[in-house]
Amino acid sequence: MPADRVRLRVSNQKAYIWDIDDIATVRAKHNICGILTGTLPHLSQQNVFLGIPLVLMPEEVVMLVEKELAVIIDDPRAHHHPSADSFQRYNDERIESINLQISLTGAKEVQESTHAGRAMSDEAQRKRKAREDKKRAAALALAASGSEPLFDPTPAAAAPPAIADTPAAIPAYTVTVPASSSSLPWYAPSQSVYTTIEGARRAGVWVYPETPHERAKCGVFRGLCESGYFMGGGIRFGGDYLVYPGDPLRYHSHFVASVHDSPTSILRPMEIVAHGRLGTATKKAHLLCGWDEAKKEVAYFSIEWAGFG
Amino acid sequence: MDDSLERPSTLTSPGSADLRDQDDENSSGDEDGALDWSKLPPAPGRPVIPKRGEKDFEPSVEGGSGLQLHVLDRARAAMLEALKADRNTSSKSISYGIWYPSISRAHATVARGVHFGSMGHSVPRPAPSNAGEGSKIQKRLELLPEEALYLVERGTLFCTRESPTVKLNAPGMEDIEGAPMTVQQAFAEMIGSEGLTLEKYQVYAYLKRLGFSITRTDPPTSSYPSAQPFASVTPPTSLLQRLFSWIPSCMARIRQLFSRRFDWWKPLRIGGFFHHNQNMNSVFKSLRFIPSGHSVALQPSKNLAAQASPYKIFYNLYKPSTPFRKTAPGPPDFSLVIINARTTPMPSLHELAALFDVLPEMPPPPPRQRRPLPGDKTPAPAATPKQANELATTAQPGFTLSTLFPWAFNNKEPSQPPPQVRRPNPFVVLKSGKKSVVVAAVDTGSISFFRFGQGAFEEFPVV
Repeated sequence: MPADRVRLRVSNQKAYIWDIDDIATVRAKHNICGILTGTLPHLSQQNVFLGIPLVLMPEEVVMLVEKELAVIIDDPRAHHHPSADSFQRYNDERIESINLQISLTGAKEVQESTHAGRAMSDEAQRKRKAREDKKRAAALALAASGSEPLFDPTPAAAAPPAIADTPAAIPAYTVTVPASSSSLPWYAPSQSVYTTIEGARRAGVWVYPETPHERAKCGVFRGLCESGYFMGGGIRFGGDYLVYPGDPLRYHSHFVASVHDSPTSILRPMEIVAHGRLGTATKKAHLLCGWDEAKKEVAYFSIEWAGFG
Repeated sequence: MDDSLERPSTLTSPGSADLRDQDDENSSGDEDGALDWSKLPPAPGRPVIPKRGEKDFEPSVEGGSGLQLHVLDRARAAMLEALKADRNTSSKSISYGIWYPSISRAHATVARGVHFGSMGHSVPRPAPSNAGEGSKIQKRLELLPEEALYLVERGTLFCTRESPTVKLNAPGMEDIEGAPMTVQQAFAEMIGSEGLTLEKYQVYAYLKRLGFSITRTDPPTSSYPSAQPFASVTPPTSLLQRLFSWIPSCMARIRQLFSRRFDWWKPLRIGGFFHHNQNMNSVFKSLRFIPSGHSVALQPSKNLAAQASPYKIFYNLYKPSTPFRKTAPGPPDFSLVIINARTTPMPSLHELAALFDVLPEMPPPPPRQRRPLPGDKTPAPAATPKQANELATTAQPGFTLSTLFPWAFNNKEPSQPPPQVRRPNPFVVLKSGKKSVVVAAVDTGSISFFRFGQGAFEEFPVV
């Protein structure tokens, strides 16, 4: 596998990027944004900021692979059964790190308890005992007076030692759910790497593009991307893509692009009106992109609501 | 470069706050969101949802000015830094599960935390027999693929993949069967099982993050507790009731046989001894000779049976405020259809009708409270004149003189219900519809929710 290419993990005909470095590479070097779709572990109850994996649009995948910038990895087949040997080694390392963690936190706790020993000091214990004695005496007096005590004070007195026992069993440690599989010794993608779309298609791992419309979308996407634009999904603006002049993190999009399969495909006047109207209302121009399969060229037309009068 | 600018945690650094102020002046108020990752607090910080930032119109010539490039780098670095956060959970609060690919379920061996209040269901499975005896049936807690994947993804569930040969040791607890699964492996294996697609999972996780409770509409197995299908909401009719309801319809058929043929050119039938006692309602009623309303069946379309419709209700949705018991979920607040926007066209009229057929009629939205009257209950819109008439006829036991000799009594309108105290605003009722379904259209990762309502225009003649 060529080492410098971005690794696209494909399962169920969907391409994910799991490596942070690869996410940085496609964004900075190849003008590819994708969509983050996972839950951010430290902000898990919101949808504004999402985390890995990065899901790519199929057009993005096709362009990256065709330009030899990325490889397709059949992810379900890249996860093997761990051999007993390698798993034993993995497990030993894991136990070791947990034990180290436990001993570290244990040392920290000892340090804290020696410093902040007020709770255990003789005076505090004497005071606590006096408080409990007083309470018990009051309860006895209450019982002697004939009324039923609401709470029996004896179990409360017996409870503290039981609680004190539990931390001795196993102190808490941090469990990490690993995100990327690359750290696992039994993850071996080398057998299931495809460097071309054709190869992946033959293996049934990746079938896009299949129809003329999908091929047209790939062509238009590549054309715009090679002119230096960034692309995002345009479904919320009535088109196929949003076209950004720079990284969408910092810049607004200028165009909503819609893809037309061929120079002779039918375009209804109502579409032009709707696109022009919607694009202008959202401070964008609508871009009609016509793909010519024979010449492998794209023709672009933009529509704006002229608004005379 | 300044060290305070190198670090993306701008919440505390005053220098970068100045930079941000400069950016704000360039804002041009766009509708597609401007994510400012640099406002995201660093990983161990308190979970505060940051505000969206502002963006520039376009990079200046030669790929952006120095300032623009610098701000962009900072935004990218902040994003990557946030993405690097680990899924760490204390061993006291993490749950454990074993993923069985053969049955597409994860067995939750240790279930901790609030999430299991609305996730997972118990399934009787043959317990592994240790002494070679006959296997015993035991109940255990199992998670659907989307439930397991969501918990793994947020770092709440440590999932291993079923494997007879390897065992994971953990201090302080029993050995766990199988090799640990990464989030990546869970995405690769759990999606695509039990009817779960990436689109469905994305919608599931999106709504879960917002706090909704979600169940499958069609139970995948008989042991999955699911809300009752809506068809059984209507009370079962006894034999006697069915007999009584059958008689009037039978009478109506006889009546049709005897009454004059309907004349398309003279729908009003004024003449003879019919013309007296005509009022507005009966005039409108006889003028409406084209069948209308959703109870009338659609014309069958030719390519209807060609392929199965992707418009199927997949999830039942319960608002966070709805009391939810996972063993006996009640009727859902919303019914959710999930489609892939790239491959699925707009629903056809037949597809929508098929969706609405299985849904229950909703009560009209409560009228806006101007001054609350005691005991003022707005009747359902079913009590409109047309349906009320039908109700009145069916309510009467069959053998009255008028049903036997309808032609002699045709001029007599059934008694109108007493005028309502306050009619619901027809436009509010029309807008909300009598039945509604939510369609989530997913394009790679952007989810758009649409609500389709079935308005009952025939019940609100605007006169």
